[in-house]
Amino acid sequence: MASPITWILLLPLLGALFNGLLGWMLKRRVVETVACASVAGSSVAACIAFAGMGNGTDVVLYDWLSAGGFSAPFTLRLDAISATMAVMVTGVSFIIHLYSVGYMREDEGFARYFALLNLFVAAMLLLVLAGNLPLMFVGWEGVGFCSFGLIGFWYSDPANATAGRKAFIVTRIGDVAFGVALIWLFYLTGTTDIAAINAAAPALPAATATYLGLLLMFGAAGKSAQLPLTVWLPDAMAGPTPVSALIHAATMVTAGVYLLMRMFPVISVSSDALAVITTVGAVTAFYAATSALGQRDIKRVLAYSTISQIGYMVMAVGAGALSAALFHLVVHAFFKALLFMAAGCIIQALHEEHDIFNMGGLMTRMPTVFWCFLAGALALAAAPGTGGFFSKDEVLAATLGHGGALYTALWALGEVTAFVTAFYIFRVVALVFMGGMKKESAGLPARLPGTMVWSLVPLAVLAIAGGIINLPATWGGSGYLSGLLASQGLAPHAEAGHGWAVQAVSAVVCASGIGAAYYMNLINPALRERLAARYADLNDFLFRAWGLDALYYRLFVTPFGNIADLLWHRVDEGAINRALDGIGDGLAWTGSMMRLSVTGRASTYIMATIVGAAAIVLYFAVNGGV
Amino acid sequence: MVPISHILILAGMIFALGVVCVFAHRNILMILIGVEIMLNAAGLAFVAGSMRWGMPEGQIFVLFLMAMAASEVSVGLALVVYLHKRKRSVNIDDFNEMKD
Repeated sequence: MASPITWILLLPLLGALFNGLLGWMLKRRVVETVACASVAGSSVAACIAFAGMGNGTDVVLYDWLSAGGFSAPFTLRLDAISATMAVMVTGVSFIIHLYSVGYMREDEGFARYFALLNLFVAAMLLLVLAGNLPLMFVGWEGVGFCSFGLIGFWYSDPANATAGRKAFIVTRIGDVAFGVALIWLFYLTGTTDIAAINAAAPALPAATATYLGLLLMFGAAGKSAQLPLTVWLPDAMAGPTPVSALIHAATMVTAGVYLLMRMFPVISVSSDALAVITTVGAVTAFYAATSALGQRDIKRVLAYSTISQIGYMVMAVGAGALSAALFHLVVHAFFKALLFMAAGCIIQALHEEHDIFNMGGLMTRMPTVFWCFLAGALALAAAPGTGGFFSKDEVLAATLGHGGALYTALWALGEVTAFVTAFYIFRVVALVFMGGMKKESAGLPARLPGTMVWSLVPLAVLAIAGGIINLPATWGGSGYLSGLLASQGLAPHAEAGHGWAVQAVSAVVCASGIGAAYYMNLINPALRERLAARYADLNDFLFRAWGLDALYYRLFVTPFGNIADLLWHRVDEGAINRALDGIGDGLAWTGSMMRLSVTGRASTYIMATIVGAAAIVLYFAVNGGV
Repeated sequence: MVPISHILILAGMIFALGVVCVFAHRNILMILIGVEIMLNAAGLAFVAGSMRWGMPEGQIFVLFLMAMAASEVSVGLALVVYLHKRKRSVNIDDFNEMKD
């Protein structure tokens, strides 16, 4: 009997294989059951493994790569970070699978969908549990591939297929940096094992560590959609909504943060790299939160909010607060999956309506969805007492506690972002659930299957109560997660105690954000109209997410297209094809000339033979023999 | 003793006659005769060389040449008979199927 750690990984993989190979000839119910059961089993295995983790365990399944000094066995490592991640990934994925059963009830591609969904979970678990970097890279790429397949799931619409390709290509840019860092680390330390690399990290020169830190950061930026590689995530909304929930909450985007947490000992050698990482996180958080303000599509609001929240996690890693990053990661997974799934309910109920300005008054018509969405929104806005409050507070307190002008400034930026966050999410709440229905033509909300609505409830409870896994001392908690990480020597230092001061600031910021959103959207909508009219340019600027997409199009996509066009029309068609055609034509002409001599009359040939022989004789006669 | 140059000039003249015979005629039989004449002119040149340097190889060569000419004529005449059967003609320009 293999250890539960193996089963965590194996079950979703088997589910994916089963559904991928046999799903086409099975009934929908069988495919759904296999997909959900495999992830449920994996989740149980993860919980058992978490409970029996001890001080961290390694499971070596077999020798995978081995050549000379290079070896990368198939090692699964369970420690505080990976076990927490595994429990979170499998748990949230299981709920998303249940939700998918309802959401995809009318889609014909269910076998492909569930196979990819299972494979996605398996790849993410491989990434999380991998004991060495090459194995982690396999999971890393697997996640990228599955996101490509699922974002472009409805591939018959070119826009969806393009979104899938965009996600694949943009994340691939970051993967290059990760690959370089991987090889460089092997070159420097002679090992691929994560623990061994981390043990050897303090001996690295600071300058090298800075470059390595930046490479890892860039790799993480690709997967986690941090600046400058944010652009793929909003477009990833093209996939089915449960996929968005899966990508944004449990898998994929957290991979970058996870990488930074795993490789923290290497990064922490260089304070410059840490400063860059914190800055990237804080600026991304601010950038995405402001962009979310300008969006009209409910899923795009949530997408930018994901980028923003991941920014907080990256910021926490930069500030050295690993447990805060992990804490926020887990809580964010709960409330973001919840928000996406609730948004999916709303969208299906309103017959594929995405625009929040066409919604309204759903509070009374969809009460369960409303209360769940509200729970998620409160957690995202970090209302005091919710899970999001404690985790975000830890991130901000750690940044402030780090000291120095830069970190203090970034803390202030983080607080501003928190205000914007509260504002934009309660703008959505106000527009979607309160007031009256703006577009009556949409009709009454359709009835939704129970699996969709009721799978929101456990996540809502977790979003509100998620704080207990790392409750600070000021609230009578013991900081379970921080203690767990510290006991295994994974968190570099115990976080500074969070005073009431930072919490009070966060609470005030949150309350004012919610209040402002409430006032502008419900009590005094005329003010919003006036502001929108006066600052139409700003609104448009935010809607286009600061024009980053357009900038990339101008800087990379259009020039690339032009170069490709040039190579195609001028070089390939113009030069190469015409040269080859010219050679062919020349040979054909020569041949037609030569053909004139072929008369078919023997006398001509005899004459030619004799003339040729005479010429040869003459040549030797003139040149004096051989 | 006849000077070798005389013999070679004679051989050259016979060879030229053979050449003219080959490309002045359209008749396959005459062309074959021209080829025979050229072969014999070459044989004469061999014998002359053999005499001049006192070596037997030239004469041996001529023996081979005669044998070859005899077999060539037999094959050639058989072909001519066959061709004549097919087209009732021995005019070489009638046989131009190779072109197409």
